[in-house]
Amino acid sequence: MTEAGLVVLGSALATVGASWAYFRRYRVTRPPIGVFNERDLAVMIGGIIAVPYLYLALPVWLVGALLGLSSMSVLALVAEPILRERAARWAFTGGLLAADLGAAWALGTTQPLYLAINDGLIGLLVVGITNLWAQSGMQARAVAFLGAVLTVYDLTATTLLPLMGQMMGRPAGLPLGPQLAWASGSGGLVLIGLGDLLMAAVFPLVMRRAYGAVAGRLAVAVAAATLVSLFLLPISTLFPVMVILGPLMVVQYFYWSHRGGPERTTGQYWQAEAASPAAPATTQRGTQGVTNL
Amino acid sequence: MIETAFAQVRFALSVGLGIPFSLRSLDRLIEGVAETRREFGTVGDGAAALNGPPPDWETQRDLQLRRFRSQAVRAARETAYYGPIFAAGGLDPARLTWDDIARLPRTTKEAIRDQPGDFVRRGAQPVFRTTTTGTTGRPTHLLFSAYEMGLYIALASLNHLMTGAITNADIVQISSSSRATLGNTCFAGACARVGALVYLGGLVDPAHSLALLAEEHQIPGKKRRASVLLTYASYLGELIETGLAAGYGPTDFGLERISIGGETVTSGLKRRAAALFGQVIWDEGFGQTETWPATGTLCPAGHLHFEATQALLEVVDPETGAPTPPGTLGTLVLTALPPFRETMPILRCDSGDLVQTLTTPPTCALAHLPAVSNLLGKARLSVRHTSGWTTPRAVFEALEALDVVPLPARCGFWAHEDGVAVEVVTRDTGAVTQAQVAAALEAAAIPLRALTLHRDRTTLTQPFPLRGDLRETMFSR
Repeated sequence: MTEAGLVVLGSALATVGASWAYFRRYRVTRPPIGVFNERDLAVMIGGIIAVPYLYLALPVWLVGALLGLSSMSVLALVAEPILRERAARWAFTGGLLAADLGAAWALGTTQPLYLAINDGLIGLLVVGITNLWAQSGMQARAVAFLGAVLTVYDLTATTLLPLMGQMMGRPAGLPLGPQLAWASGSGGLVLIGLGDLLMAAVFPLVMRRAYGAVAGRLAVAVAAATLVSLFLLPISTLFPVMVILGPLMVVQYFYWSHRGGPERTTGQYWQAEAASPAAPATTQRGTQGVTNL
Repeated sequence: MIETAFAQVRFALSVGLGIPFSLRSLDRLIEGVAETRREFGTVGDGAAALNGPPPDWETQRDLQLRRFRSQAVRAARETAYYGPIFAAGGLDPARLTWDDIARLPRTTKEAIRDQPGDFVRRGAQPVFRTTTTGTTGRPTHLLFSAYEMGLYIALASLNHLMTGAITNADIVQISSSSRATLGNTCFAGACARVGALVYLGGLVDPAHSLALLAEEHQIPGKKRRASVLLTYASYLGELIETGLAAGYGPTDFGLERISIGGETVTSGLKRRAAALFGQVIWDEGFGQTETWPATGTLCPAGHLHFEATQALLEVVDPETGAPTPPGTLGTLVLTALPPFRETMPILRCDSGDLVQTLTTPPTCALAHLPAVSNLLGKARLSVRHTSGWTTPRAVFEALEALDVVPLPARCGFWAHEDGVAVEVVTRDTGAVTQAQVAAALEAAAIPLRALTLHRDRTTLTQPFPLRGDLRETMFSR
C-alpha cells in the first residue's frame, strides 16, 4: 500500500470510528417533529441520482456556494453539543471553512496542507450527517435498502457510465471537495468519496441502535475490513465501493433482523443504553461518492 | 421528515397569515408527531417548534385586530344578521379600530338561538348541525362545515399527541350528554385519531357508568381499564357519591385523567374524587358551542388562557358593556377568528360567564397568552348586591368542600335582603349541620341572609340547573 493510501485509509477508519464515538456520546439537534421514513429515503435516492447531474450542470461558483453552505450547517450541528457557546461554535465552523478555502486559494487543491484540512473537514461532515440520520430515527432496514440500491447505482454510474468520473473531477478542483484524499507520488490523488464514507459510517450506528452493541461493533468491523481490503487491492481507477459494502450491509441486516426481531426504536435504545447526553437539529443531505485508488 | 417539515411550514402559514389550513398537511403533521412519539418516546420541544416563539403583546393585538376585521368583513357581507348592524352603526368592517369593536353590539345567545340561519355565510357548505345542551336556556343550533370539523379534530389530536395527555394505550369513556355532539365528536374523533379506544357512556345511571369504568379489558396494547374520563362536574359528583356508597375505591379503577368542563369544578369535588378514583390529572378549561373552537385552558396558577390566534377575548361589564378594569368582574365576550371559524362567524359573542380580569400580568407557563380568572359561573345565575357579586363558584366551592353536602351540591340561591338566601340538600338538617354550612358560606364572603337545609332535592324551590341531570334512560343495567 502506498503512503497516500495509508493516509486515506487511516482517515477513513478514523472517520468511521469518530462517527461511532460521537453517536455514543452526543446527541445532535434533530428536527423536533418527524422521523426519517420511507418517503425521506425515496427523496434521498432521488437526490443521489440528481446531484451528480446538478454538479455537472451548475456553474462552478454555485457548486462551491452550495458545498460551503451545507458544510457550514453540518459543522455547526456537529459542534453544538461540544461547544456550548454560540460564539465558539461559529468561530470553529467559520475558522475551519476559512482555512479550507484559504488553503485551496493559496496553495491549490492538491497540496498536503489543503488536503489535510479538507480531510479533517470531510471527516467532521461524515460524523455530523451520519449522526443526524441515525439520531433522527433512520432505520437499519432503510440503510440496508439504501445500500442495496446504491450497489446497483454505484456499479452503473461508476463503471458503466462516465458520470462519476466527470463528477469527481469537477468538484475535486474546488475547495471543500467531497472526498478524503491524499496526493500520491505519481501526482494523482488517492481518494474515497463522501458517499461511500457516509454509508460505511452510518450503518454501524443504526445497527447499534436497532440490534445492540454486538451488531453495531460487527458492522464497524465489517466496514473497516472492507475498506482495508479495498486499499490493499491493486486498483488504479475508479472503483464502486458500494458493490462490496452494500451487499455486506444487506447480509448483516437480514442476519440480525432474523435473529433479533423488530428493530429497537431510538427511545428503546436510549432506555437500554441509559446513554442520554443532552443536546439540541438541522437536516443535511449526503452525497454519494466513489473510491479512486 | 421532509413532508413533516413542509406540513409545519403550511401550518405556520395558516396560523401566521390566517389562510385556511390544509387538512392534508395537518394529517401529515399528526402522522409526523405520532411517528416522533413512537420513535423517541417523547415529542420534546415539538410544541414550541410547531407554534414558534410566542409573539409579544403588541404583535398579538395587531394580529387579532386584522383577523377580527377579516371576520367582520365576511360577517357583514355574507350573513343576514351582521350586514344591517354594520350599516346602522356606520362602521366599515374592513377599517375597524379597537374603539369601533368596543362599540359593536355584543351578539347574544338568544339572537343565535332565534335565527341561526342568519349567521351562516352565503356560499358556506355546512354539513354538521349541533345543539347546545340547553341547561342554561333553550338549546341553540350551530352549523359547521366539513373543513371546520376536520380542523377541530385535527387540532385536538395534535394537542393530545404533543402533550401526551391521551395516547394509543388509553381507553376513554365519555360520560356527557349525547346531544353535546360538537364536543363529543371532536373529542372522540381526536382520541380515535391518536389511536385511543373511545366509547360514549352517556349520562346514564351512575352505577352503570361506574361499572363501565371498573370493567377490565383484555385488549392488546390497551390499558386494562378506562384511563380517561370526560364528563361534567355534576355528573362526576354523582359518580363519587354513588361509588363511595357502593364501596368502590381507587383499586377498582384505572383512571389517570379526568377531563372536565361545562360547569364549575370545585376544590371539594376534586378532593372527594380522590377518595374514589385516587390521584388523577385534571384537565379543566372552557369551551362553548357558539364560539368553538375558542377554548380556554386552565393553567396551574388558576388562569384561564386563550390562544390569541384563535379568539379575541374581552371582558365587559354585564350591564353597561364597557370593558372592565383590572381586578373586576365581567362577562366573557369571545370572537372566534379565521381561519378557525368559517361557516358561522359570530362577532363578540357574550357567553354570559362571569370572570375576573387579572390585576397583574401572569407569570405562569402560559403567560404569553391572554388570560382571565377561572370561570365564576353564569352572570344570570349570580346575585348582585351592594357588597358585590355572589357567584355560583363561590357558593359551590363553599358547599362542596363540606362532606355533609352530598355531591353534586344541589342548591339554589337568590337575592334576599341585599344579600343571598341559600337552600341546599344536606345529609341531615340538624342544627350542627346548619351552623357548619352557614359558617362555610360566610367564610366565602357570601352575605348570607337565609339558609334552608333539605334532605330531598325535590323540595328545593329554585334548584340550580346541573348538566348531570340531562339523564339518559336504559332498559336494563
